[in-house]
Amino acid sequence: MGKTADLLPGTLDMLILKAVSLKPLHGYGVLLRIRQISGNALEIPQGSLYPALYRLEHQGLIAPEWGQSDNNRRAKYYTVTAAGRRRLREEAAGWSRLAAAIAAALRATSEEV
Amino acid sequence: MFARLRSLVRALMSRGDFEAGLTEELLCHIEQHVEDLVRSGVSLEEARRRARMEFGGINTVKEECREARGLGTFDALERECRYAARQLRRSPGFAGTVVLTLALAIGANTASFSLLNALLLKNLPYAHPERIGTLYARTSGPEPSDRRRTVDGEQWEHVRDNVPSLVSAVSGMRASGLNVRAGSVAQYVQAGRVSAQYFNVLAIHPLIGRNFSEDEDRPHGPRAAILSYRLWQTALGGQPSALGEAVLLKGEPHTIIGVLPEGATTPLNADVYTALQPSREGEGQSANFVAIMRLRDDATWQQADAELARALSETVRARRFASTNPGAQVTYYAVPLQKAATDTLRPQVLALMLAAGFILLIACANIAGLTLVRMLHRTGEINIRLALGASRWQVQRQLWVEHLLLACLGATAGIGVGSLALRGLLRLVPERVLPVATVPLDRRVLAFTLALSLLTYILSGVLPALFSRPGDLRSSASGRGVIGGDSSLRLRQALIAGEVALTVVLLAATGLLIRTLIGLQTIPPGFNPTGVITAKASLDDVRYHDPAVFRKLLADSLAALRETPGVQSAAVGLTLPYERALLSAVTFSDGKEAGKQITTNEVYVTSDYFETLQIPVLAGRTITDADGVDAQHVVVVNQTFARKFLHQENAVGRYLNTNLLIVGVVADTVLSSAAGLNAGTAPLTREETIYVPAAQVDAKLLSLVHGFFQPSWIVRSASPSGVPAQVQRALASADPQLPVSGFYEMNDLMAATLATQRIGVALLAGISSLALVLSAVGIFALVANIVAQRTREIGIRMALGSTIAETMFQVGRTGVGASVLGLVLGLILCAGALPPMRSVLFGVGVYDGPTMLAVVLTLAAVTLLATTPILRIARIDPARTLREE
Repeated sequence: MGKTADLLPGTLDMLILKAVSLKPLHGYGVLLRIRQISGNALEIPQGSLYPALYRLEHQGLIAPEWGQSDNNRRAKYYTVTAAGRRRLREEAAGWSRLAAAIAAALRATSEEV
Repeated sequence: MFARLRSLVRALMSRGDFEAGLTEELLCHIEQHVEDLVRSGVSLEEARRRARMEFGGINTVKEECREARGLGTFDALERECRYAARQLRRSPGFAGTVVLTLALAIGANTASFSLLNALLLKNLPYAHPERIGTLYARTSGPEPSDRRRTVDGEQWEHVRDNVPSLVSAVSGMRASGLNVRAGSVAQYVQAGRVSAQYFNVLAIHPLIGRNFSEDEDRPHGPRAAILSYRLWQTALGGQPSALGEAVLLKGEPHTIIGVLPEGATTPLNADVYTALQPSREGEGQSANFVAIMRLRDDATWQQADAELARALSETVRARRFASTNPGAQVTYYAVPLQKAATDTLRPQVLALMLAAGFILLIACANIAGLTLVRMLHRTGEINIRLALGASRWQVQRQLWVEHLLLACLGATAGIGVGSLALRGLLRLVPERVLPVATVPLDRRVLAFTLALSLLTYILSGVLPALFSRPGDLRSSASGRGVIGGDSSLRLRQALIAGEVALTVVLLAATGLLIRTLIGLQTIPPGFNPTGVITAKASLDDVRYHDPAVFRKLLADSLAALRETPGVQSAAVGLTLPYERALLSAVTFSDGKEAGKQITTNEVYVTSDYFETLQIPVLAGRTITDADGVDAQHVVVVNQTFARKFLHQENAVGRYLNTNLLIVGVVADTVLSSAAGLNAGTAPLTREETIYVPAAQVDAKLLSLVHGFFQPSWIVRSASPSGVPAQVQRALASADPQLPVSGFYEMNDLMAATLATQRIGVALLAGISSLALVLSAVGIFALVANIVAQRTREIGIRMALGSTIAETMFQVGRTGVGASVLGLVLGLILCAGALPPMRSVLFGVGVYDGPTMLAVVLTLAAVTLLATTPILRIARIDPARTLREE
């Protein structure tokens, strides 16, 4: 396992949306998927995953559905809704702008000031 | 936003599913984690431990999930409600008193508001009621007035023909009872007489058939009838073939031309309608028609008013008004029917609502007082909660929630009490007094009750809790104060003084109404009512328009009655004492009053009328059988008539209407005052009256008068119980087709006349007793509480040598003092609140000594009763109370 980074506040929702937008997932699956797509760099605190899921569901950004898990257990699967996709696009764009801006700021040298 | 609300509602609705799903989901997560760990080679035990640890507190997570769903507030509220319910169960006395007080106060208000709603707020049951109006007139001059007007035949023609903005119609003054014969069935029903456009004005379209045509509404036009749905069902079996059939009304066949839809009602509220056929003749000579009109679609009320004023200024009546009232102006205009129909009841209904509002304030003061005491009792508990880290806001919220529970219980019970009270109240009201068919507890009433409960809740629960903040409570550590020494006690005394003041106003108002009623009921009637039974029969029948037939009916039926054993005497009169009499105009023919025209009550009577009722004769003679149709036309006048118009006791020998000889003067009897004859008179009064022989009444008057009045057969008998059957037999022997419409004792007639007064007294008495009881409870609770709270202090006082009597006085003073202060305040309030009652008081002034004395005595007695908890002081054992410390 490589180095893990702490989550920035407000990014958890975006990551969850991204994870379930790839494929319907149950809670534990979301955890694994985020770890996987971040190249094991991001570790979600397990305690804050479910409140975040419930919050997103409450906001109508993801929709729950009970189904069968891989090992034939009843599990609650989340899919992203149309509103969720829209939100993900906005947040991703916002994030890219921010990251680019910060990267640009950090690249600055003394001559440019 | 909408999605969130939906998700919250879903979670709330299926709370069980939500919780189960949440648990299952979290456990599932942990198990999967465990499985993964086991697969990576960790022992099962260790895997479980690690999975649990990494997940954190399951309950904390669950709580956060619930919060995320917006369920947090609800959970907190639920917890607080449970806690509050537990608290209230622990003090059932407090909770019971509060809920009962709320139930009574909210119930009284709900019932009052239902009436107000039905009478003043609800729309009349017609389409576009705001476009229906009726006629008012405003007069200036020395006696200005502004009231609803009826019209005469000529005025009606002007309204009908010269007011293009309105569709106008007229009806008779009120429906009258008569017999209808349809097929083989005869029924006693209420009949209304209406003009051609009447149902169009009300926008009522017959279920089958049609409305009256112009032709049928012309004098001597074809006789037609429109039936109510109910009569059509009961008398004709609801057969559509009934159209075109004839029903017998007033002895004449009328063709059925229409049936009104089910539930359709009119201001006359009749079972069968006939065409009014208004003209300038007969009843059309006086203002006997009630006008209603509907504004045409393209017109405005301003236009209509202008046209009405112009049209009615050109009438004989307007010219006569101008000549007899020089300088005065009369302006006719239209007023919405809604307002006109409820105008007379408006002051009563508003007064009732005001009285109910007083009750609510009294109840609030009581509950607020109780709440303050309860707060004191709970100082310890509240301090502990504060010490354990509860915020003041949380403590406040807890108190509010407790009161919210009480308010909900009280409001629910209040609606129940209100609907019961309303039912009782409506039973008191005689039929056809209210202009509406039903008084429902509809949505508006429920909304009102809800708003009222909220107001009560804030006044009696939230404010006291805010007022005595926990910080204050801590300083006034439980039970350490001295009698009368803390601000909470003074506040409670002020509250009680306030409620006593309101109670005093209500008691005084009730007292005045009771005095009025007693005064009216005990007016010397001027005749001997015991042993007299009367029977009414409708002579509104074409056969009896013939004076000869009418005379024969009277003679035959009275002869049969006189032969009946037990009957001492019998007579017929158009109206009886206690009833409203016919008004008629007479002119003096001689002496210095010659040419003067006056209006007086008039009654036609047979011989023996005065003997049967035992009305004393003061001068001359009464009417005898010798005063026949061809004899000298005679009249007997009463004392008031002789004194008022002839300024002498003996009027015998004078003439009225050129050839009407006054032959006797009789004592006054009480009768229902005719509106407008003498302004501002009591409902029962003695007024100028003339009596004419029934045999000398002419055909024109006969055909007219029986449409308004049903004459009475009066029997004085040694055995009154047998009279009804005897009268029935006697009438049947004279005319087999003449059914009696009702039997009455003289007391019944008095009761009917004073019905409005009695209802007023019953309502106000009920409300003021409620106020009195609530005030007594307030004083009782105050005193009882001081005794309970200060037991230790009282023990010390007594140990130091204070006598029981002194201590009782000390404690009792708090209650009595509040009551006395309230009494003084109340008497001051009376000075402002009672004068508007003047219009409903008769024979008693607004500031009536005996009434006020009775109020003071009642209050004194109730206050003493309510301070009886001081007797418990006698049982306090100083030694024991001190030991218990």
